Amino acid sequence: MKIARLKKSSWILIGGLAILSAVVMNSCVESKQVAAKGGAQLWAENCQRCHNTPSPNSFSHDQWITVGMHMQTRAQLTDKEREKIVAFLTQ
Amino acid sequence: MAQQVVVDSALLDRISALEQQVADQKPGESHFMVVGLTTFGFVYNKTKFTPPGGPSQTTKTNSFPDADSYELSPMFLWRHGTKLLVEFEPSYTGGSLGVNWADVSYFAAPGLTIKVGYFVVPFGIYNKRLAAGWIDKVAPDPMGIDQPGTDYGVEVSGGLPLGNMKWSYDVSLTNGLQLLPDGELQNVGIVDNNLNKMVSGRLGLLPFSNSSLEVGVSGLYGGVADAGSSYNNANASMYGADLSYVKSFNPFLLNVKGQISWLTVNRQNYINPVDNSSYTFNNKTTSAFAQFSIRPTGANNAFIKNLELAFRYVNYTTPSNSLWGQKYSEEDLGLDYWLTWRTVLKFTYAWSHSPSTAFVAAGGTPGLTDQNIVYLQFSIQL
Repeated sequence: MKIARLKKSSWILIGGLAILSAVVMNSCVESKQVAAKGGAQLWAENCQRCHNTPSPNSFSHDQWITVGMHMQTRAQLTDKEREKIVAFLTQ
Repeated sequence: MAQQVVVDSALLDRISALEQQVADQKPGESHFMVVGLTTFGFVYNKTKFTPPGGPSQTTKTNSFPDADSYELSPMFLWRHGTKLLVEFEPSYTGGSLGVNWADVSYFAAPGLTIKVGYFVVPFGIYNKRLAAGWIDKVAPDPMGIDQPGTDYGVEVSGGLPLGNMKWSYDVSLTNGLQLLPDGELQNVGIVDNNLNKMVSGRLGLLPFSNSSLEVGVSGLYGGVADAGSSYNNANASMYGADLSYVKSFNPFLLNVKGQISWLTVNRQNYINPVDNSSYTFNNKTTSAFAQFSIRPTGANNAFIKNLELAFRYVNYTTPSNSLWGQKYSEEDLGLDYWLTWRTVLKFTYAWSHSPSTAFVAAGGTPGLTDQNIVYLQFSIQL
């Protein structure tokens, strides 16, 4: 019985956290200054947080899309950052 | 009229051939590629061990296939559209073949990626972002920072804007760590040792719009005892903080990194392997490193601009009166030469000092260990 109560409270806690997270994530917006940044600037600012800035010639168009997804999971880039950086690298 | 028909037929054949060529080159929704890294080098090690009251003993080794200087890890990336990504990285290092990670990521929504499989547990910044040889500024890994390592489970993560700032989250639920008879923790692997799961996560904040500074806090909690063992509700908790600062001060690029973690296993009784008696100790471990590197990226001389000077301090304090108790400290001084953005030749001189705090009556080794190590390492991202 005790286990059942714990499970119920855990589910309530998880549900509450999920709702709270969705609300917080949905309210996260970028400033105009950040929104105006281009891919080249974001490439220069974000890649060097961990490693040297990569040369655009290092990978092909399709490869950069794949590498961009991989890097997003590593460095927790925002979706817009990834899109703009990949667009710059595939020009 | 007959001649006209022949011409048209040739034209149609040519168009058909061109259409086939276009179809062959069409990229499709899936994409597979291989990247990865390799690291190899040479290590000279001089170790001086001084037992209590006794004469010191010195041993010297020099080796090519050292674990810190040899690794071959091809990484397979397989993308299905722009929503699914499979990552698999086998690795040959230290004389054995293993797997660094094998996972599937689903990009569910902006700022929300769900990952399942075998992955690097989110805690701090070193293991997930800085450990690769072609990224690391000095040759060795900081002692003790490898916990909690890699594990099986599910992870949700994402990065989100916050006005001029940015924040990120990374949370996982995995099998967790296993408490060994001497009180040490190890990764449990694919066969779980109990019904408990480990929760681990990191929150990061980049307060400046140029992303130069990132601060993070991490936490971990989970039951660690084998099912049915004599341990009394054994659990491990771990807290940590990390910092990254990368900024150009023309002509230099300054790079600062740091991480600290505190690991605690609640009070347990352990079995003395010498006489099977029971003993206990305060099972707390602290791991920390702080490093900075500086590179004259704005120098006019092509050789000078590819040099980078790095320094790291490491502290690793394991539980006093345990079998492996020590107060380990290490300094690393490195000079790197970047052949390309992802190819580096590293020279690192490391010196460490480690007085033992081990429980001698249980078989622990007392004494003082000093090491001087020279690394010459080459690393490349493939």
